[in-house]
Amino acid sequence: MDKPTSPYQSQPAVIEKIIPETQGIKTFVLKPERPFSFRCGQFAEVTIPDAGEAPFAPSSSCHETERLEFTVQNVGYMTKRLHQMKEGDTLGVRGPYGNGFPLDEFGGKELLLVIGGVGFPPARALLYSLLREKDRYGRIVMCYGARTPADVVYKYQLDEIRRQVEFLITVDRADSGWSGNVGVVTTLLDGVKVDLAESAAVVIGPPVMMKFSTLKLLEMGFKPKQIYLSMERKMYCGVGQCRHCMIDRFFICKDGPVFRYDALKNLPDIWG
Amino acid sequence: MANERYTIGNDLWTNLLEQWAGKFRILAPQREKRGLYLRPVTRENSRSIVYGEVRAAQPLKTFLLPPLEDVTGPPADAAAPVLFLGVKACDLSALSILDRAFGGDFPDPRYQTRRNAGLVVSCDCSDPIETCFCTLVGGKPFPAQGFDLNLTPLEGGFLVAVGTDRGGALLKDVEARLAKVDKSGEQAATRLHEKTEKNVNRRNKEWTLSGSLKNRVSGEWESEAWAKHAGTCVECGACNHACPTCHCYFLDDITQKRLTRLRGWDACLYSGYAVTAGGGTPRPRLSQRFRNRYFCKFKYLDDNYGQCGCTGCGRCIEGCQGKIDMRATLQDLKP
Repeated sequence: MDKPTSPYQSQPAVIEKIIPETQGIKTFVLKPERPFSFRCGQFAEVTIPDAGEAPFAPSSSCHETERLEFTVQNVGYMTKRLHQMKEGDTLGVRGPYGNGFPLDEFGGKELLLVIGGVGFPPARALLYSLLREKDRYGRIVMCYGARTPADVVYKYQLDEIRRQVEFLITVDRADSGWSGNVGVVTTLLDGVKVDLAESAAVVIGPPVMMKFSTLKLLEMGFKPKQIYLSMERKMYCGVGQCRHCMIDRFFICKDGPVFRYDALKNLPDIWG
Repeated sequence: MANERYTIGNDLWTNLLEQWAGKFRILAPQREKRGLYLRPVTRENSRSIVYGEVRAAQPLKTFLLPPLEDVTGPPADAAAPVLFLGVKACDLSALSILDRAFGGDFPDPRYQTRRNAGLVVSCDCSDPIETCFCTLVGGKPFPAQGFDLNLTPLEGGFLVAVGTDRGGALLKDVEARLAKVDKSGEQAATRLHEKTEKNVNRRNKEWTLSGSLKNRVSGEWESEAWAKHAGTCVECGACNHACPTCHCYFLDDITQKRLTRLRGWDACLYSGYAVTAGGGTPRPRLSQRFRNRYFCKFKYLDDNYGQCGCTGCGRCIEGCQGKIDMRATLQDLKP
């Protein structure tokens, strides 16, 4: 294996399959040239030809290194270009970067996953890891909020997920076919009872959702050190140099992206 | 040979410089219309090198981390080492920040190649200018460390201090003709140091920035000084680009025959600096971006690399279109 001459050198990864998830969200199944090892919660820098690079956390299991999956919402310049790619096209990947979820700290605990929107993809990677050694953990409860029923991802997997964890779902705005909960994801938390002393919560989603979910968890009695946040900021290098992703002294790309809330709680403007 | 101190006369110095010119690309300060600029030393301009005075206009990052560079192309050329001549204490201090930033867990091979192959022959300041404020941020106008060789201008020559073995090796061919510095040489150097330091202090006597600047900035997140002093900022990024320690960069891909990944200097004052795909940014207001620069300089860089991110070189003051003076902003923060 050639050692990359530059830390910015990506390896080619062919798009084997594209799974349309919703109107604006697709899952890209990539076959990297060389196996890509990572821990769940880590991320990769994905090269989109003629567009640039963007950081994404794989939505696939970290125990599968031959294939990588990224579930991406079409929201900006690069994700738009990514959505125009076809099966058989070649992307680039480099990484993995960041710390990933501290599964050892989760051992023996009840886990409450509070997930919003395209926070589900990295949460799915986490679920794959948790369920592989389910006996290590206590109950697993996942609360997932999407904007509308049409924005729900992995619909084809939800039954399977429901069989293995306590799965609660809500949408901000319902449509005529929706009979489930309506409201933001924090409204689901009212119905969740956990053994506070032996629990950990994981929050992944857009900034506003993460802020209010964290506040709600604190209100429920979670201590800051029991809340794990997967943070996001603008990012280029992924290796703690370019300084775009900083929250105070922390590099999200290197010190994170997973932070315990007690490390961040006294810092200003963390929800950016 | 490190820590040795010699005196060298002008004739021998000229000899030595000619020898070095055969092995290195020497960059040294030359006087131009608008100040001192680092330029390649040639046979024609070697006698007009400005050794002392004050730092040159360009920070060293210009050469170690070029403003725009293909980072997926051929590696940096170790066979073309640069000898930086006449580097001042403020810029040496900045180098130690860059060394940490580009030498940590993911060392940057281009920076490393240039830095390891290159040499630094620094020089004491003799004529600080009105924007100099190294002594306000804990510095001195003469280097104590971080150089291969350091020069102190003396009557008829220099006092040469050896900082590293590689610096000592630069003197090998003339070693026999060097004199160990005597008492009067040391006294002359001390006199210059004291005089220059007093000069810097005199230029900064209106500022009373006592105590830790890190604490001074850290405690003032909510200060009105940020918006006040950002009032004339035009977001040009000159302070970022002129700063010897600012090293934020963007990456941009261009695909022609092959993928070309460009690394370029970015500026945290730009409104688009931290904008994410969805259009959000943690610092939508200019005053927030302005404040971030001070927090980065005086708190975050110190947290990351154990060193104040401001060296007092004053380039940000000199380059500012809005006449913003970092010292005035700091002064307005409560101690």
